[in-house]
Amino acid sequence: MLEKDLIEQLNKFQEIKPNKDWTHWLLSNILLKSHQEIIIKPRVKLVSFSFIHQYQKALVSAAFVVLFVSTFAFAQTTLPGNLLYPVKTLTQITRLFLTPKDYKPVIRLEIAKARLSDMAKITDQEQAIALMSQNIQKDLQTIPQELKNIQKKQKTLEISQQVQSESKDLTNMISKTQLQPQDKETLDKTAKDTQAQVLALIIDTQEEINQCPTSFQNQLTDLQKYFTDNVQTLVQWPIDDITKVRTFLGDIGNDVKAGNCLEAMVKIDSINQILQIHSLDIKVETSTPEN
Amino acid sequence: MTEQEFTHFYNNNIDKVFRFIYFRVDRIEIAQDLTAQAFLKCWQTNKDYLVSRSARNNDNSKMAIKNPQAFVYRIARNQIIDFYRQKNKTPISLEELKEKGIEIPQKSFVFKIELSFEMENLKKVLQRIKPTYSEVIIWHYVDNLSTKEIAQILDKNENNVRVLLHRALETLKKEVNKEV
Repeated sequence: MLEKDLIEQLNKFQEIKPNKDWTHWLLSNILLKSHQEIIIKPRVKLVSFSFIHQYQKALVSAAFVVLFVSTFAFAQTTLPGNLLYPVKTLTQITRLFLTPKDYKPVIRLEIAKARLSDMAKITDQEQAIALMSQNIQKDLQTIPQELKNIQKKQKTLEISQQVQSESKDLTNMISKTQLQPQDKETLDKTAKDTQAQVLALIIDTQEEINQCPTSFQNQLTDLQKYFTDNVQTLVQWPIDDITKVRTFLGDIGNDVKAGNCLEAMVKIDSINQILQIHSLDIKVETSTPEN
Repeated sequence: MTEQEFTHFYNNNIDKVFRFIYFRVDRIEIAQDLTAQAFLKCWQTNKDYLVSRSARNNDNSKMAIKNPQAFVYRIARNQIIDFYRQKNKTPISLEELKEKGIEIPQKSFVFKIELSFEMENLKKVLQRIKPTYSEVIIWHYVDNLSTKEIAQILDKNENNVRVLLHRALETLKKEVNKEV
């Protein structure tokens, strides 16, 4: 047989074909099976491995956060001398730093009390106790100053009263500490000074608030007189300042209607500052509550 | 390979793969089973790749099938080798087929292949010669695969395939002439 004939015969084998029904059945069977698995398999993967792999970074970060928070939480229960006590101190400083300016005296007092409480629980850390005592003294001395720096008188009164209320047990707490008698006496004296200053501030502020309507009326009269006498000078003012003054006067009217004398006084002060900037000879009588 | 692409590939190759297996095992039922397993394995491998990709994980262990034709023929070859290895031990059971994902049809797909006397003789000669020779002859002269495609299946270079084809045809011619 020649090669050509042989190849021709081999080509005839192409007639061998599987049953068409069987090929269709097989294809649909394979694809049907794959449909079922393709839906199921990713779900299994998501639950088992790929989920962890995909969120590995997030999980590690979360673990660190949990560890960090746990350390901080545990540190709050420690006492001076413990390895984690600086963490507690740091937390207190951070808390004070993040507190709004007006409320700092209250938080400072709370921290001082917490430290006094810690001091009462330890006996064998003389150096640490002495250092803590100094820090508490500084804190107590700072409180009246911070109260004076509060802008609004009503707020000053409110915070001062809160400080006064919470500082009542300071002497008792100091007496329970293991400080040397001399140090204990110094700290107690500082606490009493602070209480006295806070009380004085409450009385002064209360007085200023009570006198506010009279003082406000006087200042308002002075302002009216000034604007009546110096209408021509006002023409030279920049438009921005005139707008500011108008806004303040509008706000003052609203404050008076609302019975908020102290707020109105603050705005009169602001108008007075604008007048001073323009180097005016006429100085409005400054019998403000601050003075 | 999408489902549509696989269907297209399946329709183009099912006859060839079936024929290739049939020549080697000489039994229609066995050829059907082995063909089914070859295509199923091909699709499952492809599907595993699709699943790993759709799961959006970084599982790079699943590779896409670059040459499905070469892949399915390689599977078919391995199936045939396994078949002969296990032939004398235990026949492939229906349960085993089921486990491998083949649903046993209720309807019978049994059919007969009738060849002329001359063709039957040629088939027997093909089955008698060296398996590698019969493989390349079926691929090239029956299934019209190019030497490049055969080289990809056998993982050899084209020159080797040409030499192999030449030797295979010579051997077949000698054997056929012997019969005559």
